[in-house]
Amino acid sequence: MKYFFGLLFLLFTMGSCVEIIDDLYVKSDGSGTFKYTVNLSSSVVKINSILALDSLDGRKVPSISEIQEKLNAYLTKLEKKEGLSNVKLDANYKDFIFKFQCEFTNVQVLQKAIKEIVQEENKNTEIKELDHNWLAWDGTKLVRSIPTMPEKITERMKKEDAEALQKGTYLSISRFDRTIEKYDNPVAKLSGNKLAILIKTNPYSLTQNTELLENTIYLSALKK
Amino acid sequence: MKYVSSIFSILACSLFFAQQQQQTSTAGTFSSEDLIPLDAVTVFSINNISLLKKVSMDELVQYEFMAEVQSELFDGSTQGKTLKESGIDFDQKLNVFYGLNENFEIAGFTFGIKDKKQLFNVFDDFEPAASNIKGVEFYRSYSNYLIIKGNSGIVLRVDPSYEKVSVITDSIWYARGFGYFDDGTSEEDEYEEIDDYGYEIPSNSDIEEAENEVIEEEQIEGEMDETDLLSKNYWEMRDSITVELQSKYMTKICDDLFVKELNLKKQDPKLAAQLLHTSDGIFYLDNSRNFRNSRGLWHFQTLFPELFSDMKDLYTGNVMLGDIELKENSVDIYFEANYGESLGAIYEKLNSTKFDKNVLKYIHESSTGFFTYNINLKEGYNQAYDIIIPILSKEKDPRISSNVLMAELINEFVDTDALFETYKGSMFGSFNGIKKVKTTRIEFIYDENTFEYEEKEIQGEEDMPIFTLGFSTNRSDIPEKILKHFGRMTSRFKNMGSYWMVEDAVFNSVPLYIINKNGLLIFTNDEDLAKNHSDGYGSNALKGKRAKAAKSSKFMYGYFDWGVALSSLPREMFNTRQNEILDAMRGKTGVLELVSSDITKTKTKFNLTYNFDGTYDNSGKYLLDLVNSVYVLSK
Repeated sequence: MKYFFGLLFLLFTMGSCVEIIDDLYVKSDGSGTFKYTVNLSSSVVKINSILALDSLDGRKVPSISEIQEKLNAYLTKLEKKEGLSNVKLDANYKDFIFKFQCEFTNVQVLQKAIKEIVQEENKNTEIKELDHNWLAWDGTKLVRSIPTMPEKITERMKKEDAEALQKGTYLSISRFDRTIEKYDNPVAKLSGNKLAILIKTNPYSLTQNTELLENTIYLSALKK
Repeated sequence: MKYVSSIFSILACSLFFAQQQQQTSTAGTFSSEDLIPLDAVTVFSINNISLLKKVSMDELVQYEFMAEVQSELFDGSTQGKTLKESGIDFDQKLNVFYGLNENFEIAGFTFGIKDKKQLFNVFDDFEPAASNIKGVEFYRSYSNYLIIKGNSGIVLRVDPSYEKVSVITDSIWYARGFGYFDDGTSEEDEYEEIDDYGYEIPSNSDIEEAENEVIEEEQIEGEMDETDLLSKNYWEMRDSITVELQSKYMTKICDDLFVKELNLKKQDPKLAAQLLHTSDGIFYLDNSRNFRNSRGLWHFQTLFPELFSDMKDLYTGNVMLGDIELKENSVDIYFEANYGESLGAIYEKLNSTKFDKNVLKYIHESSTGFFTYNINLKEGYNQAYDIIIPILSKEKDPRISSNVLMAELINEFVDTDALFETYKGSMFGSFNGIKKVKTTRIEFIYDENTFEYEEKEIQGEEDMPIFTLGFSTNRSDIPEKILKHFGRMTSRFKNMGSYWMVEDAVFNSVPLYIINKNGLLIFTNDEDLAKNHSDGYGSNALKGKRAKAAKSSKFMYGYFDWGVALSSLPREMFNTRQNEILDAMRGKTGVLELVSSDITKTKTKFNLTYNFDGTYDNSGKYLLDLVNSVYVLSK
């Protein structure tokens, strides 16, 4: 768990211009692809200067090999989850761009796998945030949200970290194989071909208000 | 970081006390400096900082570093009070000390007392403790002691060495029939997590450890006779031994100070003489005892007692002494490094060289800071070889003997002339402020019709401190051979004609330039220097007063314009609060200059001067703004 917080800390302190894209593609049969991209390339100098240190603000700075090892461990765990396939991570340690992707048989499988890994990482202690379901699909609509941030993370966030996170971007994209009829989040933006919908915010706003990404997306009727 | 905080606390504490001091010092025959323990290795003594009198107490407590001092010293128990009401006698000196030996670590300060009742309003956590020394009062708060004799007091803390406590505890533990006890300290990479309020956040491993301890204790209790209430678990035993050793060392320190009336001032005439100086403050650092007490050498001392004794002789008399003078527009620090004749002979040979004028060509006249370091490594090596090899040769230990043989063979077979012609020992460095350097970053650009995205390389700029480091050489052909080799091995090394470029060398992001010309091997991240000034800055090179000072300063010269450096640091590097604090220093000038004298067989003298000017209410306020800014930058 120390490493998990270490990675989170690294992400937060380096986030002078972090770009995060979460991209969920749900087919009509409920299966699909999930992609998660973290782009830290605009902070390469800062990241490398931090990685050159042993510790920062009393916290250990993980080495590249430790980060690699930890990410590979997560990957191995995910590969073993039933219902997930083609689990891949493209980690670029020169530009610090990390692209994760996996295919799932249905959104519940994806959600369950992520919850199980978080639970394992926390040594099976009770995490109330995991009671929340952030994905629901019934064939005609997709309900998306994200879990609330633990209060201690948001309350203890330093002002300078908050300022840095405000400069970043967070894109949440949902894609389908049929057109979107309507959606209930007013800040969401529909693509020209009506097959995708996007919500753009910044990581800081998200830590303060997780409802920003809540959306129920209604699709056109399935052609028979 | 904790060490930086402690140093600031001591420095700030000194300023805080000294702010109240009067022009005269010493009271009667027994004064605060007579309470400096023999075991102190470093002493910082404040005589008078009258400049700071102009700063009000209300202003003082507003400083960032004072918050830490207030809480550390007085534990919040003196809210609404000032040091004027603390009962401290500001006619006496304040002496801050620190020491470390193989048995314990000691830290504290000595001071004069004017009103004991008022004093205990401040030190209200201290409870009276039994005293078996006539005329000496003891007070205690946890591990801290306040001891009063006459009108002087000492606050001190003694911590037995961790290793010593471990050895004794383990020994008793094994003797009682228990097995190896893993206290978890050998686990690598354990770091403290500190929350915003300064409390340690227990990590999961800490919690696990605590759980394991409970289990371990339960198992041990099971093994022990449950009716045996005297049996202690490992940690209880450790605590008892720590307290016992603390008491033993305190008794020894108090016997020295109050029964035998031995103190460091009496023991070391160098400190006694230094304390007579009328400067605003003095400092003393006994490096010879630092050598003897160095934890890494205790093992060496046991294995090779004769060799250790010879090496100790080599370090005898190695003491740093200094004076601090605070003037209206400057702070002057004079210090001298004293050493024995054997070490002095090596240093003297190191100094037997001429200043390499070529270095001045590569320091820009507007450079924010630079240093020159001028030594003759070949002469120094030969002298050190002549002094140290005979000492080592006396040792009969096979490992040391084979190392001596190896050193002698290398000395015979290696062309030391070629080695020291390549790396002569002289060097220079400069800081040319912050410049924008070109970097590339990746951005994800998405298509409005499909929201499909792709990577696009964007040219950007980042602020980067610009440094240059150069070494004198008479054999530029040797580094050139190495550079050519790397040029053949990797495309990152590129020969650009008048210089070499190593791509992505600095933080894997920006290039490093290497200039191998004019008897210098220079490394820099300054593209302008490499591309346009590989033969030096010409008419824009360092000249005039500062060039002359660098040339005439013997083995070392340093210059740093703090005012310019601070103004050139981009505001974006700091958060809003830090910028507010640093604004107090922005726009003011402050120049630091270090000059060294000739090296003699017994000492080397240095002068460090900090000159300041600009808009400020008074120089005391300026100094505090400076201390506060340095504190903020170091946090």
